[in-house]
Amino acid sequence: MNRAVAGIALAFAGLFLLNASTASAQDALEKIRQRGSLVWGADQEGGGPFIYPAADDPTRLEGFEVEIAEYLAGKLGVKSQFQQGQWDKLPDLMDRGDIDIVLNGYEWTPNRATRYGTSIPYYIYELQLLARKDDESLRAWDDLANPSDGELKRVSVLGGSAAQSYLESRYPDQVAIANFDGAADAMRAVELQLDGIDANLQDLPVWTFYQNGFPDLVPIGLPVGRGYYVILTRSNETALLQQLNRAIIDGMLDGSLRRIYEKYRMWNLTQSERGLDVDGKGNFSGDRIARAAGESGPDEQDFQAVRGWSVVMQRGGLLVWAAGLTIVLAVISMPLAILIGLVLALCRMFGNGLLKFLASLYIEVVRGTPLVLQLYVIFFLLPEIGISIHAFWAAVIGLAVNYSAYEAEIYRAGIQAIPRGQMEAATALGMSRGLTLRRIVIPQATRLVIPPMTNDFIALFKDTAVCSVITVVELSKQYYIHARSTGAILELGIVTALLYMAMSYPLSLVASHLEKRLARERRK
Amino acid sequence: MIRLENICKKYGDTPVLRGVSMSVARGEVCVLLGPSGGGKSTLLRAINGLETFDSGSIRVDSIELGPTPGPARDAALFAIRRRVGMVFQQFNLFPHRTVLENVIEAPVHVLKQKPDEARAVAKELLDRVGILDKIDVRPASLSGGQQQRVAIARALAMKPEVILFDEPTSALDPRMTNEVTGVMSDLARSGQTMIVVTHAMSFARNVAHQVHILHAGTIAESGPPEQIFESPQNQITKDFLNEAVVA
Repeated sequence: MNRAVAGIALAFAGLFLLNASTASAQDALEKIRQRGSLVWGADQEGGGPFIYPAADDPTRLEGFEVEIAEYLAGKLGVKSQFQQGQWDKLPDLMDRGDIDIVLNGYEWTPNRATRYGTSIPYYIYELQLLARKDDESLRAWDDLANPSDGELKRVSVLGGSAAQSYLESRYPDQVAIANFDGAADAMRAVELQLDGIDANLQDLPVWTFYQNGFPDLVPIGLPVGRGYYVILTRSNETALLQQLNRAIIDGMLDGSLRRIYEKYRMWNLTQSERGLDVDGKGNFSGDRIARAAGESGPDEQDFQAVRGWSVVMQRGGLLVWAAGLTIVLAVISMPLAILIGLVLALCRMFGNGLLKFLASLYIEVVRGTPLVLQLYVIFFLLPEIGISIHAFWAAVIGLAVNYSAYEAEIYRAGIQAIPRGQMEAATALGMSRGLTLRRIVIPQATRLVIPPMTNDFIALFKDTAVCSVITVVELSKQYYIHARSTGAILELGIVTALLYMAMSYPLSLVASHLEKRLARERRK
Repeated sequence: MIRLENICKKYGDTPVLRGVSMSVARGEVCVLLGPSGGGKSTLLRAINGLETFDSGSIRVDSIELGPTPGPARDAALFAIRRRVGMVFQQFNLFPHRTVLENVIEAPVHVLKQKPDEARAVAKELLDRVGILDKIDVRPASLSGGQQQRVAIARALAMKPEVILFDEPTSALDPRMTNEVTGVMSDLARSGQTMIVVTHAMSFARNVAHQVHILHAGTIAESGPPEQIFESPQNQITKDFLNEAVVA
């Protein structure tokens, strides 16, 4: 009986969720047409050849997926509009309704196919094993499986990528896997032999795009682990999906896609073997045939590492802009946090039983959970119950909620530090509890809490970095994007660090000034 | 005008007040003396509700204050605090406000007087306690005696019918003690009703109309100062006075 009830409840819950997702998803194609733009989600931090800031004008985006998105939007008769999102959160952004499609090197998996609409592949990728040129102990896949010195080889991969699952399924216990956040970082780790890393299993198009930047690396063996990059839509978006498929096939048939891939050096035998590619006139052309004809390809995009002063001059401005966003985030959320914190402290200290309990619960829950989780809940889960918040305000709320718990405890300590006699004197003068708090206790407590709160303000400046998980591109996210796309990790890193210091140092000065003034006031 | 009847109070299992009864007439200066721990401060603070009590009753004018918590007691306390001012051992001035602001705080925010009027009254009072030249400084830059005189002005600004003094000179050196007892004597002469807990014997002897010796939670002896100081009847009173003189 109980099981039946639970079953029914589950079914209802499922129905509700299903309804929620289909309700927000219906007629995406129509919405796109009405809006006049196809909003596509990707993460610039992924870098070349997918999507990255252009070398000559970093405010412009480049990459084969940028061009495919423009191509697809053109086919739908609308403009393409890019939306930044953290790579692994892109499907969540789509569920929220912030983007129409995910177009960012997402491979087809049975799991994804059940949760989302998946287009036909727009690219067939393979994995390439890379090792150091001078490493004689690693010249073939066999060397990986059976190392000559008997010691496990360490292979860097992009965490959570196809390369990782390929190694785990094919070479369990035969290789040691090192997870990296960025493709370029994983290659650099091999070159620099960081942490004893011997090889990198890399997406082939990434390698062909970046190979100029890694002259000490060499491909080992043939590409392996074929997989399919597909476009994700929300489920049940048949009309949109069909249009996308149509556009991809058209692009194969009229050579548009091939031109894009050649530009980014991604065209290869595997793509031709689909047998769908044709030349501009509609004639089938395999690569071998094309090569035999001595046809020279169009201009190719190259990865060029940009280093030194020029990169600072070129991209520094963008970092300064991002720092501006960081400041705005911090300056709006901190006063909110202090205000909420004060209310919480008062509830906890002077409220009735229920308020006391609720305030304590709030403080413990918020302090006991990470900021990134709170941001995630506010941004991705609230829409499930019908509350959708813009990313910027979600970030402000997340930071304010998180810090309010700490400010509440600071305020509590501040209020407790006010001598009992202050409250007694006010009470004896006939002041009510509320008046006493407002006029006597809180003003004095506020003076006491300013130094620790300034300290928290500085911490909050740096915590804004976490907001990149909900698509807010603040200073550190902007740094990662440009450091990865240019390779100027050090130069831009210094600029970014200086910007953070430039923001927090004045605060330290203000804090110490206030502290001195407070001390003077008490002496007088 | 104030009558305490059979006030009892325990801290846990320790009784601090064991059935104290006394009354203070309008214009009277009543001094509570006795060894530390005798319950003087507790009794005083019970009158305006800074301390609770377990049984008995307190009457201020026609306001009846009982021991049972609740809206009735809150309402009584609200009315009593409008009539009863208090001066503390540690002065308890508001450190974030100037001297003048300390004095007008309650008149403006509790009695809703206009700030200008309150300021004029406050200046008069500060003049009366001899602090007029310091009205715009913060309390921390005043001496203890000056702070206590400001605290008296602050209490007076509410035009209280009674002022409770809780060891007003115990944190002061002898010279400052004289400053403060001087102001208190002037007040007494002007007919202000006062209940004073103190160790300042000369004030008790010269200014008080009534003296009560509190010991171990009960009144050991009551009477006018001449009687208490010249011919004490009770052994406790004699011991206490002897020790006080020696000290």
